[in-house]
Amino acid sequence: MSSSETNDRQYHIQVAPGEVGRYVFLPGDPGRTEPIARLFDEPRLVAKNREYETWSGYLDGELVSVTSTGIGCPSAAIAMEELVKVGADTFIRVGTSGSMQPDIKPGTLGIISGAIRDEGTSSHYLPIEFPAVADIDVTRALTLGARAMERPFKVGISQSKDSFYGQHEPGRMPIAKRLADRWDAWMAGGAICSEMEAAALYIVAATLGVRAGGVMMILGHHDMSPMTPEEQAAGSLDNLLPSAVAGLRTLIEADRKAAA
Amino acid sequence: MSLNEELQHHLQLRKGDVGRYVLLPGDPGRCEPIAALFDDAAHVMSFREYTTWTGTLNGEKVSVVSTGIGCPSSAIAVEELIKLGADTFIRVGTSGAIQPNTPDGSLAVVSAAIRDEGTSSHYLPIEFPAIADPQVVDALAEASRRLGLTHQVGVSQSKDSFYGEVEPERMPMAEHLKDRWAAWMGGGAICSEMEASTIFIIASIHRVRAGGVMQMHSGEGEVNRGDLLNAAVESLRVLIDADRSESQWP
Repeated sequence: MSSSETNDRQYHIQVAPGEVGRYVFLPGDPGRTEPIARLFDEPRLVAKNREYETWSGYLDGELVSVTSTGIGCPSAAIAMEELVKVGADTFIRVGTSGSMQPDIKPGTLGIISGAIRDEGTSSHYLPIEFPAVADIDVTRALTLGARAMERPFKVGISQSKDSFYGQHEPGRMPIAKRLADRWDAWMAGGAICSEMEAAALYIVAATLGVRAGGVMMILGHHDMSPMTPEEQAAGSLDNLLPSAVAGLRTLIEADRKAAA
Repeated sequence: MSLNEELQHHLQLRKGDVGRYVLLPGDPGRCEPIAALFDDAAHVMSFREYTTWTGTLNGEKVSVVSTGIGCPSSAIAVEELIKLGADTFIRVGTSGAIQPNTPDGSLAVVSAAIRDEGTSSHYLPIEFPAIADPQVVDALAEASRRLGLTHQVGVSQSKDSFYGEVEPERMPMAEHLKDRWAAWMGGGAICSEMEASTIFIIASIHRVRAGGVMQMHSGEGEVNRGDLLNAAVESLRVLIDADRSESQWP
């Protein structure tokens, strides 16, 4: 890489090479980057532009980062593309999601082994038949992290959708019946939760040859019935972020062992 | 329910004829060599392309059932086996290598599959990912490590047309086939076979476990088929032990 390129800040995320680690957490909400970075050693704000806010710090001596993607696959794909250009190669999506099974209670962590490509972005990369699948090493590490923190968790498939209100208020959409039929199909297929970024992140990762996985706080109910105050408390991000960090520590340790 | 109704239409099997762990080769001729690696193996049935042998591993009843080539006949086999109580499936067979420099005869542990076929869309919309159970993926990787076999974990292309893959230029839609092959390669897919995606999709719907191990051919040389069969059988031992300890994966 030439020196002029190394000085370049990436167009949207405004991050330069060396400012982020190879390991990056990807929340949707910029407001969630600082609380995550507070779990790192020596956290510092790296860049802030549009919906992209990046912090870096250390875990077990390893440089790690967190970058917000904004909501949805279009902005998430941009974040991953540019983070790979500045040296990242391992991504963990963190955030909230909606329950898709009657037996999955709010407060359960969803570890996303694969994602339904119910969005437009990933088809700009690969034909729709290609599976959006998480890296098995990342999935295993996140599972071990959840267990270490003694959180209830479920490994499974998420629905990555483009329309939040198409999921939450399908009845008012002109294509209401199609939305309802497809929701039923995803449930029957065993999908565990609904979110808005995993599919494109996994497909972009596949094309770039990098690793991606995800752990989501599952909120709500499959039938959209309201949560009780206890269920809302169980869904606090304080019950997600330590597990995600523990998972990343597990992965860093496994990578160091494999490299040794 | 009468006995006749309990008899599965295509497999010609009844409850008790198979274990909960089933290996799924395509070729009926590969069932006997696989069963030879079981303890107390016995031939159970042969009907159409479906041949079934059952034996034990570590004292647990296990079976091998051929699916025939392709997703349509594989879907039938898996549906009927689930009705008989099977809940863990490992596809085992041969495949073409997609990536350059793949060692001839090395193993692909299939983590997910490209739904480049017609059957799985009769079950779920095409956006749904055909993914293997992570525990089965890990068991196959562990088995390969134990046996010292060269392997990689990755995505498989499950196609409906064998000759569309190996002789695309003679197909009327040659350019389309070649473009898509380039896309699968660009996406990092490692091997091409004809059954995994549908097996994974049906497993998702029935909440059972499925995975696959494929031997990859990249050249003309002879490969040691024993490596493939040994890895598949060893992975069943890994799963049987894990299931007995009732530990959650991983």
